[in-house]
Amino acid sequence: MKRLFTIVLCFLLMTAAVYSQAAVEVADKAEAPAAESVPAKEKEADKNIIVYAKVPDSWEYPCVWAWDDAGISAFPSWPGDLMEMDPSNAGWHYIYLPSSMTSVIINANDGGIQTKDYRIESQDAWIIVNDDGSASVSKAKMTQGDLPEYSERFTLFAQVDESWKEPCVWAWEDPSGKNAFAAWPGRTMKANANGWYSAKVPSWCNSIIVNGNGGTVQTADIKELDPANMWLAVAQDGTFELTYEDPTIPKVEDISVKVKVPADWLEPCIWAWSHPDGTNAFVSWPGEKLNPEEDGTYTLSIPGWINSIIINANGGTVQTTDLRVDSGKNLSIIVAGPDSVVFSYK
Amino acid sequence: MKRILVLLLCIMLLISSCAKNNQDKKATITIWHDKEDSVVAILEEALSPMKDEIDIVFEKKSSLTESLKLVGNDIKNAPDMFIFAHDKIGVYAEMGILAPITDFVSKEELGKNIPLTVEAGLYKGTNYQMPLYYETLLFLYNKKYMKEQDIPSTTEELYSYMQKKTKYGHYGFVEQHSTPYYAAGWIHGFGADLTDKEGNPLLATADMKKALSYHKKFVSLMPGETEYATVNTLFLEGMAHSTMNGPWFISAVRNAGIDVGVAPMPIVDETALPISPYCGIQGIHVLKAHANEKKDEITKVLRALQNANLEISLALATGCAPALSECYEDERIRSSEVVMAMKDTASKAMPMPNMPELDVLWSVMGNLLTDINMRNVDVETACSNAQEKALDLIKAMR
Repeated sequence: MKRLFTIVLCFLLMTAAVYSQAAVEVADKAEAPAAESVPAKEKEADKNIIVYAKVPDSWEYPCVWAWDDAGISAFPSWPGDLMEMDPSNAGWHYIYLPSSMTSVIINANDGGIQTKDYRIESQDAWIIVNDDGSASVSKAKMTQGDLPEYSERFTLFAQVDESWKEPCVWAWEDPSGKNAFAAWPGRTMKANANGWYSAKVPSWCNSIIVNGNGGTVQTADIKELDPANMWLAVAQDGTFELTYEDPTIPKVEDISVKVKVPADWLEPCIWAWSHPDGTNAFVSWPGEKLNPEEDGTYTLSIPGWINSIIINANGGTVQTTDLRVDSGKNLSIIVAGPDSVVFSYK
Repeated sequence: MKRILVLLLCIMLLISSCAKNNQDKKATITIWHDKEDSVVAILEEALSPMKDEIDIVFEKKSSLTESLKLVGNDIKNAPDMFIFAHDKIGVYAEMGILAPITDFVSKEELGKNIPLTVEAGLYKGTNYQMPLYYETLLFLYNKKYMKEQDIPSTTEELYSYMQKKTKYGHYGFVEQHSTPYYAAGWIHGFGADLTDKEGNPLLATADMKKALSYHKKFVSLMPGETEYATVNTLFLEGMAHSTMNGPWFISAVRNAGIDVGVAPMPIVDETALPISPYCGIQGIHVLKAHANEKKDEITKVLRALQNANLEISLALATGCAPALSECYEDERIRSSEVVMAMKDTASKAMPMPNMPELDVLWSVMGNLLTDINMRNVDVETACSNAQEKALDLIKAMR
C-alpha cells in the first residue's frame, strides 16, 4: 500500500513538473550572427595561382579557359582570358587565376585551336603545348627569375581609321609616369573579327595613347581613365570618341508607358519582363511605381526589351493578367479591372 | 486495490485533460511586417522559447501601411502588433489604432535604447514604438575607382570628383536626386526642412531654395532618369563610382563582385553641416484592437525582443545599427565597418518626422524636385507653387 502510494505521488509530481507554467526566460539564445561576408573580389597575389604556357608559333594570342571542381569558370565566356608574354622568359606566356581553379584548357587563335582539359589542382603550373596540341604539365618552376607582379587588367578596344596600320597602345600611370610597356609604340593590338582591335592594359594605368604606323600617327594623351573595359573609336586625324559602354551590343531604347487605372487602385506599379527567358526589368514585386500625371494617368519609362507586363496596385494585392506586348513600342494601357485591360501602341 | 487503481486512472485522466486545456488556451500573437526572410528568421528564433506558451505568427504584408489604415480598428482582422519604421506613428495615432508602448514596457526599459531611437517613437508626448534597429542612407563607393585619398569630405570635393570622373559613360556619383527621401539629406545640409515641428510646410524658405539650387549643379552631372532601378544598376554594373543608398543595398553590391567602401557623408562647404539624410527607426508597435485582452502576451513578446544578441544579429544581417546601447560594447558590432558607419551617419541624421502631414507632403516634395531637376522650372517659382499646394493639402487633411 505504502509502495503504491509512493508510486502515485511520484507520478503526480513528475506530471506536474512537465506541465507546470514555468516562468519563461528568453535566454540569450539568438545564434551568434554569421561573420560578415568577405568582399567578393580577391585581388591579392597570394589568393591567386599562376599558369604559364609555352605554345607553338602558329598559336597566336594564347588564352586560358579555367574552372573549378564545381564547374564554375573563372571567365564569363570562351575562349577565356588572354595570357601575357613574360619579357623575362622568352616564349613563355602567363596568367594569374583564382586559386580555386583546378582545370585549364590552353587555346589560341580566338579559341579555334586548343588542348584538352588539364588538371592543375589549384597550384601554379607550367604547361608546354606541342605542335599536335598535346601538352605536359609541370608543378615545378620552369621559368627563370621571380614570378611577374600580379596586376589586374582591363581591355582596351579600338577602332581606327583604315590608314592606321598595326595600331598599338601606349599606357602609363599619371602623374608618376610609370609606363606599362617597355618601349614606344607600346603593345601591338590584336585584330578581331568585328573590325575592332583589342589589348590588355594593367589596371594601374590611367592614361593611354593609341597610335599606328609604327607610332607615327597617334591620339592625344587620354587621361583620367577608369580601370574598366573601354571602347575607343579613332578618326584619321587622331580625334576620338571613348565610352565604357560596349557600342557593339545592339541597344534597345526605353519605351514610355501611360496607364489609366480604376480610382481604387492606389499607387499603381508596373512589373515587366522578357518572355520566355524570364528576365525581369525590376528587382522585385510589385515592380516600379508609376508616376502620377495631372490628367489622372500614370507614366513611366521602362526598358524597351520587355515584352510582358502586369499593372498592379495597392501594394501588389490587385493586378491585371499578364499582358504580352511588342518590344520597343510605346504603350498606352487602360485598366478597368483585373481582367479588363485594353492597350494600344502610341 | 481496485479502488486505488481507479483513483490512479482518474488522476491521470484529470492531469491529461488539464494539459489539453492549457494548450487550447495558448494565445496567438500576430505580427505584421514587410521584412526580408532573413530578418524574420532571426526574430522567430529569438521568440522560439515562448512557443509552448504563445503562438507567434509573422505575416508579411506588401502594402502594410495601407492595410493597417483599412483594418487597424477592425477587431477581427487587425494584427496584434506590427514591425515598421517610426514615420507612420502620427497617422496611426491620429486614427486611434495604436496603444502606447509604455502600457507594456516601462520608460526605464525603453531608456536602455539610444535616445534618438526612443524620441522618434514619440507623438504628442506618447511613445508608440519599441525600437529594434535604425537605418539611414550611406555614402558608398567602389574601391576599384575611388581611392582613399579621393573620398570627398566636402560637397565641393565631391563636385570636383564628379567633374573629373563623369565622362565616357561613367559617373562620379549617382543618387535618386528627385526622390524626397534621398534629396532630404541635401536639404538638411542647408539647415532647411520639409516642415516645422507643428507640421507646417517650409518649402519656400530661403534655406530650402539655397539647398535645391546648390543640389541642382550635382544633378547636372547625373543621368536624367534616376529612379531606383537605374541608380542601382549603374552602381552594380560598375558605371558609377559612388552613390547614396541604404544598408539593404550592400549585399547586392558585394554579390556583384564590387569591393564597396562606406564613408561619412560629405560636409556642405557653405554651411559646415553634413548631408544629413532622414533616419528611420524600425521597431515594433502594438495595436489597440487586442491590447487589453492580450496584454500579458504582448508584454512578454516585447521584453523578449529587447535583447542585445537579437539586435546584434539583426544589425549584422541588415547592416543597420542596433537600438540597444549595450550592443555597442560588443566586438562584433565595433568591428563592423558598415554598422559603425551607419551609427555615425545616423547620429547626424534626422529622424523622419512621424507627423501625419508628412504623408501628404511627400508627393508635393517629389513634384517640386522633378520640376527643378528634370523640367528646369526655376527654383523660386517651383518652391512657391509647391508651398501653396502643400498648404492646401494639409488644410484639407486637417
